[in-house]
Amino acid sequence: MNKIKNLMLGLATLILCAAVTACSKDDKENNSANGGANEPASRFEQYQQAVNNIVNSQKRSDKVILLVAFGSTWEQAYDTFDKVIDDYKKDLRFQGWDVFLSFSSAICINNARAGENVAPKDFYDPEHFLTAIGKAGYKKIVVQSLQVIPGEEYRRVRDSYVKDFMNNRNGDFTDAYMKSIDRQVAIGTPLMAEESDAQTLATTLNDEPDVQAAVQQGIVAFMGHGNPVGYDYYGGNIRYLQLEKYLRAIPTVGQNYYVGTVDMADTYAENVLEHIAGGTFTYQVGSLAETVTYPTNNATQAQLFVLMSIAGDHAHNDMADPEDPESWFSLFNAAGITTKAEETNFTEICWKNYDPTQEGYIPGLAERSAVRALWMKHTWNAIMTLGTDKALSTPTTEPAE
Amino acid sequence: MGNRQKWALGLWLVFVCAFAQNQKRTDVNLQEVVVTGTGTQHLLKDAPVQTEVISHRQLQQYAGRSIEDILSGLTSSFDFNENDMGSHLQMNGLGNSYVLILIDGRRLHGDNGGENDLSLIDPQNIERIEVVKGASSALYGSDAIAGVINIITRRHTSQGLMLENTSRVGSYGDVRQHNGLALNYGRVSSYTNFQLQHSDGWQNTSEEAPSQTEYHITDSRNQTVNRHTNWQVAERLTYQPTRQLEFYADGSLYRKRIYRPCGHHRGVDVKTYDLQYNNASLSAGGKWKINDDNFITLDADWKRHAYNYAYTDTTLTDGYIKGRFTNYYPYFPGDRELQSDQRLVNVLLKGVFSLPYEQRLSAGFEYRYDWLKAPMRVADGKATDNTEALYVQDEFSLLSPLYLTAGLRLTRNEGFGTRLTPKVSAMLKLGDFRIRATWSQGYKTPTPKELHYQYVRNMNGVYLYLGNENLKAQTSNYFGLSGEYSIGHLTLTVAPYYNKVENMIALVTIPTREAPGSLLTKYDPIRVRQYQNIEDAKTWGVDVTVRYQSRHFTVGGSYSYLDTEANQYSSEDEKQAKKKRKEEQATEPAMRRVTIDGMAHHKANVYVTWNHDFSKCYQLGVGLYGRFSSKRYYQIDGDGKGYQLWRLSTTHQFGEHFRLEAGVDNLFNYVDRTPHGLHLGTTTPGRTFYTSLTVRLNKGKKLTNKYKSNFKSNQNDEQD
Repeated sequence: MNKIKNLMLGLATLILCAAVTACSKDDKENNSANGGANEPASRFEQYQQAVNNIVNSQKRSDKVILLVAFGSTWEQAYDTFDKVIDDYKKDLRFQGWDVFLSFSSAICINNARAGENVAPKDFYDPEHFLTAIGKAGYKKIVVQSLQVIPGEEYRRVRDSYVKDFMNNRNGDFTDAYMKSIDRQVAIGTPLMAEESDAQTLATTLNDEPDVQAAVQQGIVAFMGHGNPVGYDYYGGNIRYLQLEKYLRAIPTVGQNYYVGTVDMADTYAENVLEHIAGGTFTYQVGSLAETVTYPTNNATQAQLFVLMSIAGDHAHNDMADPEDPESWFSLFNAAGITTKAEETNFTEICWKNYDPTQEGYIPGLAERSAVRALWMKHTWNAIMTLGTDKALSTPTTEPAE
Repeated sequence: MGNRQKWALGLWLVFVCAFAQNQKRTDVNLQEVVVTGTGTQHLLKDAPVQTEVISHRQLQQYAGRSIEDILSGLTSSFDFNENDMGSHLQMNGLGNSYVLILIDGRRLHGDNGGENDLSLIDPQNIERIEVVKGASSALYGSDAIAGVINIITRRHTSQGLMLENTSRVGSYGDVRQHNGLALNYGRVSSYTNFQLQHSDGWQNTSEEAPSQTEYHITDSRNQTVNRHTNWQVAERLTYQPTRQLEFYADGSLYRKRIYRPCGHHRGVDVKTYDLQYNNASLSAGGKWKINDDNFITLDADWKRHAYNYAYTDTTLTDGYIKGRFTNYYPYFPGDRELQSDQRLVNVLLKGVFSLPYEQRLSAGFEYRYDWLKAPMRVADGKATDNTEALYVQDEFSLLSPLYLTAGLRLTRNEGFGTRLTPKVSAMLKLGDFRIRATWSQGYKTPTPKELHYQYVRNMNGVYLYLGNENLKAQTSNYFGLSGEYSIGHLTLTVAPYYNKVENMIALVTIPTREAPGSLLTKYDPIRVRQYQNIEDAKTWGVDVTVRYQSRHFTVGGSYSYLDTEANQYSSEDEKQAKKKRKEEQATEPAMRRVTIDGMAHHKANVYVTWNHDFSKCYQLGVGLYGRFSSKRYYQIDGDGKGYQLWRLSTTHQFGEHFRLEAGVDNLFNYVDRTPHGLHLGTTTPGRTFYTSLTVRLNKGKKLTNKYKSNFKSNQNDEQD
């Protein structure tokens, strides 16, 4: 009898102990994941080592260009990025420069892991990449933003990743190295960094054969990304208005151009349709109020273009999805304008597996060689600032404890 | 002769054979004792609140592999759509979050998106299942807006030692293990249960919905049901110092892992982590039986449900490094990251007392504390919720043949204040007729997850899911009527109902631009879904059951007609409404009339079973079961196809100690091969085979001592 009781007590104790042990074990793991104050940072360092190895294995020079994009999971986008890198490597101005591509979206980086039986594509984030670049001892560094506007994403590149690197925030580098890269680091600005860039881009886009053909036929609406309320920095969202202004100022066909976005207030698809219908509209960008008058446009057909570096989720879903009643394609057609979101006369298709017999095509901006040239010009401009006070400086004083 | 005619003829023959049986036998089902509707024991036929029962006999005959299999196979009120995130249980059109699932009267804890993990229930350890529709009982939380499923587990009351093993194997690597060890000695008893469930999973199609992917994918590695393994060990100790007193303590540990294979189509079937769940529970309580009619019970539960990512490839995610936030915290294969840890403390005090004039009074208090830890999914990492409830219920039998049950439940929630919900049921016994009517109010406050949780998932694009701190509490009014007619071997029940839910909480797609800018810039989602209150949700329908039971044959079926309606926020209509509001100064948001996701108008089950005792050493049972569903409606990603599935089961009892079950599920090999990304009507892999062997050994004698007789009445039949 006592044996039985002891057995029962033993079972109960076992369950209790196991339950309590399980809890405390999980808590410990969770604290680690949550970055407790005493966390040894080994995971971070282990990952950093992998990035260091990649950079070291591909290092051919002391000069490096790090291209930074948000990233994508679309095959067309990967092929577009490959084309961008290819252009950089072929351009005589950048001979002697190593070129790397970085994604700032962790989700896109994770998705590049290709799984079983297919070699993974290793993309890394700018934070680890810059540390690896520093660890590899690069002497001249240009970080080129592949963003379209100097908005939130660009600011994160400039004010977070690059700034932290220049401040040696994690203490990864020696004082000597930090001193050596003073004014040897520069940022290549986004496509429409300045108003003059918007003007240049307007001309460039108007000169594209497919855009020109479309605007001769009717409305051409560009769909950009934009920043949401609370992130509409001056210099960011305002570039869309400026681009539209310069496009619409083009003689003869200009009044057929419209620019809208996914996230910038008052430039959504339904706003663009209101602009097409005509009227006077006031945009508030920060403290700046812009008033634009649109004459009524009676064109019965329209072509949509994406104003993003690559054609990914936004282009194919927000802009072109015929099954989504809220896509630009659906809203424009519902408004009585015969609208196409895809085109058949684009000649610089980057997507290697694209089957032209199956469907139309939506090109990203970076698939247009003329637009790629504008980004590369920004990179060249950044290189030209190296060694001057226009490049980035490292701190001249010790950081306060 | 077409297939339909063949089936009709076959079923007709079965009915004729069944009715031709002459042996008189009372319907065993109606002699079941049920407890869920009132919290006190009643014979099913006399239960004042309409209760649906799946008896132990039905469970044995059906030999279900899981609770989902059992509920969908034996009643027409339930539907499921299993995937990684849960079983997606629906009860008369309302989802799992409106269904209170109890195990022996105590809450099943832990959810993913409102979905309970039903694998916590060992299908081999169920005595019976009781189902009560609507928030009809004051005893359980009024949050059971759709109803209550009470799983009554088996109790092993034989003196001495009982050892039991059930091993079940089936197609697609399906393995089920149930082991029970019962020890009953004097005033002390112990029961240890171990269960293991495993499936290799299956893939009904390797095609992805072309409209949802960049290019047509025909070699996707996404599975219809992923490989998964779970095990649970549970222990219950009972001590009965006197006839009047009984104490118990129990605890359990549970682990589950869902394995997700990784393909090579980025954003479609690339997976870098498995899902892992860790559950634990500890409970203690007791019962003081004051006399034959009056008793007081106390139960205290602590339960934990932890949800983790178990990484299978290098993955960057949000985290903190040296106290600093980063979007690039790395995990490596073998690492585990906590997503959420839900803990519950639940204390229940209840008394049942006989009062003059044929009254039975139940009164009690419930305290509930919810604690949620989700380091990366809740602001500040944690959220809590406190709820207390007082209830009183009176069963009044003086006006026989009219029996009344009236209850009040007063609920106070720290965030949503106090609410009184009344419940009234009446039963009129007129010979072989029973007419029951119920009106009950429900009240469900938003859960911590619905209020505070936020996360991203990548499903052919980044989806952002948001909690909503502006949610209002949900209330419901349930009206149920049932007519039951029993004569001889035949029982017929017709039960129409109407359930109206105000401020129903549902995940709805909102315009991306309405999400917080910080999250838009960080994740760049293509779709944002948020918990929102939707207006005037209604479900109404009628459940019809018919059952004929003779000595050898049982024939029956059930049919559910269901319709639903809700007014859902519509961003597209909102654009139009904005213009209108500007003109009319109106403030109402734009609403769109929709059906509730997953609703099927018609569902039905039929069954015919035949049992025969060839000798004391061998008894055979054969059962044929069919279940049918019409199209299931969804607002996005297509409707689920209607289906019909048939199952043949055989049971073989060899003496007292051995039992063999074998059968074929989905006889006609129906498979829904709708591409991934769209809704399926059913996830069945097609025809499957199973066999199961139970070995049961008893070493001891039947219980006769004075303590155990009380123990039996407490534990076997009544849930406190």
